[in-house]
Amino acid sequence: MKADILVLCAAGMLVSAYLMVGQRALFTTIRLYGLQSLLLAVVAATIAISEARPELWVTAGVTVALKTILIPWFLMRVIDRIGIHREIEPFLSVPASLLVCVGLTVVGYRVSTGFPEGAGGVSHHLIGVALSLLLVGLFLMVTRKKAITQILALLTVENAVFLVAVGVTSGMPLIVELGISFDVILAVLILGILVRRIVDRFESMDVSRLSTLKG
Amino acid sequence: MPTTVIHPALLALGVLLQSAGMLAVAPLLKVAIKKMKASLQNRQGPPWLQGYYDLAKLLRKEPLRSETASWVYVAGPRVYFAAAIAAATLVPVLTAAAPLESAGGILLLVGTLALGRFALATAALDTGSPFGGMGASRDMTIAALAEPALMLGLFTSALAAGSLNLGVLVRGLVAQGPSFHPSDLLAFAGLLIIVIAETGRIPVDNPATHLELTMIHEAMVLEYAGPDLALVEWASAVKELLYLTLLVDLFMPVGIATSLAPGALLVALAAWALKVFALAVVVTLVETTNAKLRLFRVPELVSVSLGLAFLALAVRFF
Repeated sequence: MKADILVLCAAGMLVSAYLMVGQRALFTTIRLYGLQSLLLAVVAATIAISEARPELWVTAGVTVALKTILIPWFLMRVIDRIGIHREIEPFLSVPASLLVCVGLTVVGYRVSTGFPEGAGGVSHHLIGVALSLLLVGLFLMVTRKKAITQILALLTVENAVFLVAVGVTSGMPLIVELGISFDVILAVLILGILVRRIVDRFESMDVSRLSTLKG
Repeated sequence: MPTTVIHPALLALGVLLQSAGMLAVAPLLKVAIKKMKASLQNRQGPPWLQGYYDLAKLLRKEPLRSETASWVYVAGPRVYFAAAIAAATLVPVLTAAAPLESAGGILLLVGTLALGRFALATAALDTGSPFGGMGASRDMTIAALAEPALMLGLFTSALAAGSLNLGVLVRGLVAQGPSFHPSDLLAFAGLLIIVIAETGRIPVDNPATHLELTMIHEAMVLEYAGPDLALVEWASAVKELLYLTLLVDLFMPVGIATSLAPGALLVALAAWALKVFALAVVVTLVETTNAKLRLFRVPELVSVSLGLAFLALAVRFF
């Protein structure tokens, strides 16, 4: 039962990352990120119950509060203010991106079998999904032009790291976890302000235009 | 029900019961989705039996056909209808065995559905009406992507159970008991998109309009009237029920009857109705909360499902 919930949530995180790749509307992408973080919180809560590790409740709570509520709300507000709702032209077309992501997932899963914990069972799937999520996040970061999508890609990578930390290792010290969470929220805040500055300057969120700044 | 020794009479009875049952229930599903959608929009929706009234009305009317139509036009709806019924006998519904499962498995099912689609698309081209041709070309564009995704998604389950035969496959899943693999969720997500695309629902096609810029399925059947139209509508409803049943079979086979005992069948009937209804709720929610995609964005959505299905198959190997 516990294993099923963990694998279901991990697979759900991967599906949400895929839908993010196949999605152009920024609002939906943000909602998918919120869903992904919620699933991460469910993973933490499941482990908190099954392995009697009450400190993971804090992780789950912080994840829900920050990543499923606060950050999506903030990003949606930023989008609302600047009025840009769609990723018009990514560097790579959607079908091609998906194909690359399939390859990345296979790579992620294949690499995960190299870890002693990744040989089989639940941690095999958790590591596999986390590595795939990491690669898909990085890929999303380099192929999208909109600053908001790039922030979401960075957050996806962070979710992947958290998934491994919570699901496979015996966990990070609470102070480190809280530190990372505040780092994330701070990074999102700064990036949000940066996005508005970019939009003010270029009237577009397209970061490829930044290269025109060269003298 | 063992596959090897089945009396021909029993087989015929099974085929008859299953196809009659699917034909009887299918219009109800369509109305159920319409009603749920209406209630989400604060409307009342059609009465529960509207699907049957519509079919009865259409069947009573005189068949009107264009003067330029040839036999292809007449054959189209009939082949489509026959293919839908044939496909319905290939899928386990209440018992963990399909009446005609000895005839073939997944490939035959996909092929039968493709035959129906081909018949309808050629028939749409036959009268030379621009709408028919437009609808046919759009339908084929989507089908070209949706069909491989459907097959890959089905193969994922087949790989888990070790058989391409749907009856053997479902029995294998039931014997295996509830176990979960990440590829199940990936394949389910992929197949759900396919079901939405194949049954012509928002965000791919809007079943409620006849707006020439957007319609796909409705454009194909625009020329049909009377009994011909009734056959098309009825077959589409059966196809929709069939796809939902297929999802239920592959991903939540809980409650399906493994014997022909009346008690087990009753439980299976209740479980099947409940699960199909739950999926119908999901379809309704998707249809209500999404806007229709631009036609040129549809291949993107379908390629997402192709990617998911392919990924499910790849992950299955680890």
